[in-house]
Amino acid sequence: MREIVRRAIQARPELTAELLQRGMFGPEEKAAMLPLLSKEGCLKGGVVGPVQFTTLLAEGDAQFAARAVLRKMLGHDELTWLDRLLKFQKPNGKREELARIVERALEGRTRNARSR
Amino acid sequence: MPVVAEVPAPEKVLINSVVKNLTALAARAWAKRWIITFTAPTGTGKTTAIDYAERTLPFDHLVIRCKQITTRYTMLQAMGLAPGEKWTNHGRNWMRASELYARVVERVRERPYLLVIDEADRLRLDVFEILRDLWDDSRLPMLLVGNEVLTEKINRQHERLFRRIRVRFDQRPLREGDMCKVLEFMGYELVDEEFALLWKLVGGSPGFAEALLENANEIAASQGVKRGIEALEGAVRYFPTVRKC
Repeated sequence: MREIVRRAIQARPELTAELLQRGMFGPEEKAAMLPLLSKEGCLKGGVVGPVQFTTLLAEGDAQFAARAVLRKMLGHDELTWLDRLLKFQKPNGKREELARIVERALEGRTRNARSR
Repeated sequence: MPVVAEVPAPEKVLINSVVKNLTALAARAWAKRWIITFTAPTGTGKTTAIDYAERTLPFDHLVIRCKQITTRYTMLQAMGLAPGEKWTNHGRNWMRASELYARVVERVRERPYLLVIDEADRLRLDVFEILRDLWDDSRLPMLLVGNEVLTEKINRQHERLFRRIRVRFDQRPLREGDMCKVLEFMGYELVDEEFALLWKLVGGSPGFAEALLENANEIAASQGVKRGIEALEGAVRYFPTVRKC
């Protein structure tokens, strides 16, 4: 199973549903993910607002959130919120990497952040 | 480049203890040519206070907002180059950095200013080295602002800079009354029950409270009702770290 599919299944249902709705996943990923998601009832996530969406990203799996940012699933305001919310987190390697990716996205850079 | 504040101060800033302390320390660092650290927990309002100070300080100052990607070179670029100016010398970054450094020192000696660094806790060690060198070579006064990590980082990892810091100011979180005023000022109308829950969860951190309240507003809006204690309790579910408290 692809890494991103595994992470999507493990994430909060509202978050996965929102990202699916925003078109984050390719056809192959969707095909691998949808049977598992519907089986576990993960597609029932309700509508989430932009702040709720960014909070779910900030509080969840940092690598999954980084993928969402790199695949341009967030608008500028949402990126700003995510940047703020990440400051409330206890820093660790993955979160710092995510913060760098968000800062780069805010500056209009789209590629992955090089590790130090 | 450093500037004296000319623009009028923003109207929408509540002059609370954080703003007062930070501006007073900035004035002191400038007058005495000291290095001062200002630490406070995340979400207390440091950045808001810096925004206010940037617009109101009556002497030359330069504010640098730190990022994860701030390096020694980007730091010197911010201090030595005018906006839009490019540094055209060829060579590796460290060679370019040494030339830029000389230029920064020369400028500070000609016209000193106060350097204010926001989120200084995120600075890398080599940047702290540069700051120490700048102080040694040009007596550049500095105000380093950050969370608790800043003191710990400098104490543990950078003794040479640590010895040069004259004042270490630790801002206490806002008191209940101040916190209430800040939230009111931010436009949140809270009933006692909501405020009590917020205070229990986040203490004197308006930034964190704002994040919770905005989530609660969205939850309430999606249900077509006005925000209440249920929505706020619902918002707490989105913050597993707070929930554990």
